Amino acid sequence: MNDRIQAENLALLYREAALRFGEMPAFATRKSALDWSPVSYREIYEEGLNLATGLIDLGVKARDHVGLFGDNRYEWMLSDYAVLLSGAADVPRGRDITDNELLYIIDHAGIEVAFVENEDLHTRLLSLRSRLPLLREIIVLDPEAIPRDGARSLNEVTQLGMSLRQQGDRRAEERIEAIVPDDLFTLIYTSGTTGKPKGVMLTHANMISQIRNLPGHHNCSDRAISVLPIWHIFERVIEMYTISFGGCTYYSSVLTLGDDMRNVEPTFMASAPRLWEKMHERILKNIRSSHPVRQILFHIAYFLARNYTVSRYFITNKNLKLKPQPLWKRALFMPFHLVRWVIVLPWYGFFNAAVLERVRLGAGGALRETISGGGALPIHIDRFFNFIGISVMEGYGMTETSPVISVRSNDNLVVGTVGPPIPETEIRLTDPETGELVYPNSQKPRGGRAMRGEIWVKGPQVMKGYYREPELTSQTIVDGWLRTGDLGMITFNDCVKILGRSKATIVLSSGENVEPEPIEMRLQQSLFIEQCMVVGQDRRHLGALVVPSLNEFRTAGFDVPTIGDISASPEAKRIIRDEIRRMTAGGNGFRSYEQVRAFRIMRDSFRVGEELTNLFKIKRHIIAEKFEAVIEEIYSGENGKK
Amino acid sequence: MEFDTQLLYPHDQALLAVMIFVIMLGMGASLTVNDFRAVARRPRGVLVGFLSQFGLMPLIALGLSVVLNFDPAFAIALILIGCLPGGTTSNMFTYFSRGSVALSISMTTASTVMALFMMPILLKAYTGRFIAEISAGMRAAGAEADFVIPTGNIISSLVLVLVPVAMGMVLRRKSPDWAKVAEDTAGFVAVIVILYLIGTAFIRHGALFGQTPWQVYAGTIGLGMVGFFFGYWFSRLIGMFPLFQRAVSLETGIQNGPVSFAIILLSFREPVQSQMLWLAILYSTFIVMSSSVITLYFRKRGKLDYDIHKNSVIHNRLFGENYVTEYPEGFLPRRLLKDPSQGSCPAQVRG
Repeated sequence: MNDRIQAENLALLYREAALRFGEMPAFATRKSALDWSPVSYREIYEEGLNLATGLIDLGVKARDHVGLFGDNRYEWMLSDYAVLLSGAADVPRGRDITDNELLYIIDHAGIEVAFVENEDLHTRLLSLRSRLPLLREIIVLDPEAIPRDGARSLNEVTQLGMSLRQQGDRRAEERIEAIVPDDLFTLIYTSGTTGKPKGVMLTHANMISQIRNLPGHHNCSDRAISVLPIWHIFERVIEMYTISFGGCTYYSSVLTLGDDMRNVEPTFMASAPRLWEKMHERILKNIRSSHPVRQILFHIAYFLARNYTVSRYFITNKNLKLKPQPLWKRALFMPFHLVRWVIVLPWYGFFNAAVLERVRLGAGGALRETISGGGALPIHIDRFFNFIGISVMEGYGMTETSPVISVRSNDNLVVGTVGPPIPETEIRLTDPETGELVYPNSQKPRGGRAMRGEIWVKGPQVMKGYYREPELTSQTIVDGWLRTGDLGMITFNDCVKILGRSKATIVLSSGENVEPEPIEMRLQQSLFIEQCMVVGQDRRHLGALVVPSLNEFRTAGFDVPTIGDISASPEAKRIIRDEIRRMTAGGNGFRSYEQVRAFRIMRDSFRVGEELTNLFKIKRHIIAEKFEAVIEEIYSGENGKK
Repeated sequence: MEFDTQLLYPHDQALLAVMIFVIMLGMGASLTVNDFRAVARRPRGVLVGFLSQFGLMPLIALGLSVVLNFDPAFAIALILIGCLPGGTTSNMFTYFSRGSVALSISMTTASTVMALFMMPILLKAYTGRFIAEISAGMRAAGAEADFVIPTGNIISSLVLVLVPVAMGMVLRRKSPDWAKVAEDTAGFVAVIVILYLIGTAFIRHGALFGQTPWQVYAGTIGLGMVGFFFGYWFSRLIGMFPLFQRAVSLETGIQNGPVSFAIILLSFREPVQSQMLWLAILYSTFIVMSSSVITLYFRKRGKLDYDIHKNSVIHNRLFGENYVTEYPEGFLPRRLLKDPSQGSCPAQVRG
């Protein structure tokens, strides 16, 4: 059953959704835990038409770029509707945009009309106005903020459009008809892990292809919670996808997420590794504080679930296969797995029903299959959730590919990979040094599977290019192939496994190439290590910047008010050293040059917007720059050395 | 068929008694006084449950015994099982089959109390011809007295079984934490009991499986399956929503196995006891398997109507109790057109 709307562009999608789903709730805003106000598909479309007409009257032309600065809320979505229904494209960024970024983006994108979410952004934009000759109109989203100095409220513009439409104004309809699939629907400036922000041009056709090709069976009785930043393409594609089948999106926030999960009982959502890590911590904490008998029952249940699931993966060919597996080897192990599966099944059935279901309910209610994106999911978290029966569909993509390139689905759930490429999408791997084709290449052993290479993508989701950066565009997209800059390999069940950023690769002075991410992920499995970054470019060995876990040190009996106090303690230093040694010991699959031999404990944690992206990925070049002295120190003295 | 030796040795019986105690304690620990009050709030659902549990099931058991031409001892055991109240296992299976757990709990509660009166009446009504057969057999073997259904003993065993249930309810009031433990342990013990009984039977009397006529297998598997089938369609005929159909279906087919062990051990003597026990063991084993299969089927079949029910309930929870969800035309299955919430939200009822 496919309940998704197939439309040619997003404005038509909005129109079709209003026709088909009419009074069904499309978006809901939280007033209190059990009091939410819904907006129906018909309402948001009609409001959107009014606002669009208002925008057209304010001088917004087809294919204009309209600024949209704010975070997840109904008014954001309404503005998005209006911009698209007026034939224009929006340029979204969150509340935490800096003044410099505002100046750069508004100027670079040629923004004349901008929506701002709240008082703070309003004030900041007004103070920058003298340096932004192009900017004509500022519209404030928050109904509680008071527009000043010629700015308008959202309501004012909507009213303007509504009275025009009552007089028979149908310019919005004309604009919708004039949209072609190749028109932009958004221009997203990526925070840029390197240099100045780049404007990624995404077209209606890009997004429509995503709606068509995402795996999943949903209908208008589904509920989604929105908590990742909406101006990030991953959350956005999920909201667009939700519109296509008439589901309702509930706007939550990081602070209320736990409550909202229980009350809304979402059936799916866009999630990031950080959310899963938090949930994992919460589950383990609940179990540790429960009755001893129940703890034992959980451990039995988890043990059974692990054995059952691993055997099931093997039997159904869903185990992670990085090496070619000869048929005889598979045949040899098959009886073992079959027997284990059969023996464990009844026990697993019982414990799954009696114990694990309660754990799942505590974790996320009706949540069953949920896409995780925006960063690599640590393997132990991945396994944990898939074992206890919450299928985590890890996906892979980037803003430049609107964003999904590949994702696991229920039919293709190989833990440790990001699934097979979605339909209509081709993947090729290329040796980053020689440029030689690695996969698919019949000249290579096994067609190039299990060999590392840079991932290139071709498909309907690939962006039009970087706005006003033709040179950069032609470097990134060559002959229709987008070079992702990510390293990956194809497993023997034709799933993609990500091996790190090719640009993050650390080359030691010995010439060895090291991918820091797997090592960092491993180190972060230590309860004492909250965050870390592995360094060592052109050095003799690896080093790490470690942010210790304040909670864990306190639990261990340290009297430490701040993280800074931990870094001063020699005892803490010893603990971290032992943890690093334990985590990256040779037995864990790390080669000797992959051992972290020196480290520094940071005085403060890495913060979102500073050292971390909004999706909690570390910004390597920023940290390397900011803590240059600390990194120097790692390699200069005896301090912190083994 | 004949049993040369006792199926269960005295120490097995003692162990079984302890396990029945634990299971019934766990059942009590999962109940509250509110569950009894809820019975009064759901008179229609409980009545349907009553009719299918004490009306349909004993008749199905009788019918199967006659059609399959059962030995009288087997027939009495099958009818006894047919007259049993529902157990807590049905609540768990109902939960996973996306049925109404509340109704399932109400039916279990009501039938457990009702069994005190219904079981003796039904047994008397349906077992007559089999009793005559046994008596004739006994007289032929030189016995003095006739075989009678020990009605008094059955009632006292039922009361005895209800004692740990009451204890469990008290435990729930005193310490919810311990009650949860008791509940989980009981489920675990129930699985162990069945595997233990089947296991010991297999080891000591391996030949039994082969000697047991196919009719007995058909009857023990059939009782549950036919019960599921009739429960499902009977409640459909009455006009119940799918959510409740699934609950009634499972409640009808799944009987409280441990109670049957208790009654057979406490109220019956050889030459019939071992045969009856053997049938009860087979039923308890097969019902877990067939319930699992049915649950998987219901789960798949009920996904859409359950999702719609759930979504409607959540809309009323979050958007106010007067909110009416207007599903797009052609989306609702015909049976949910009048009430997508399936009786859960008054506001969602149409015209």
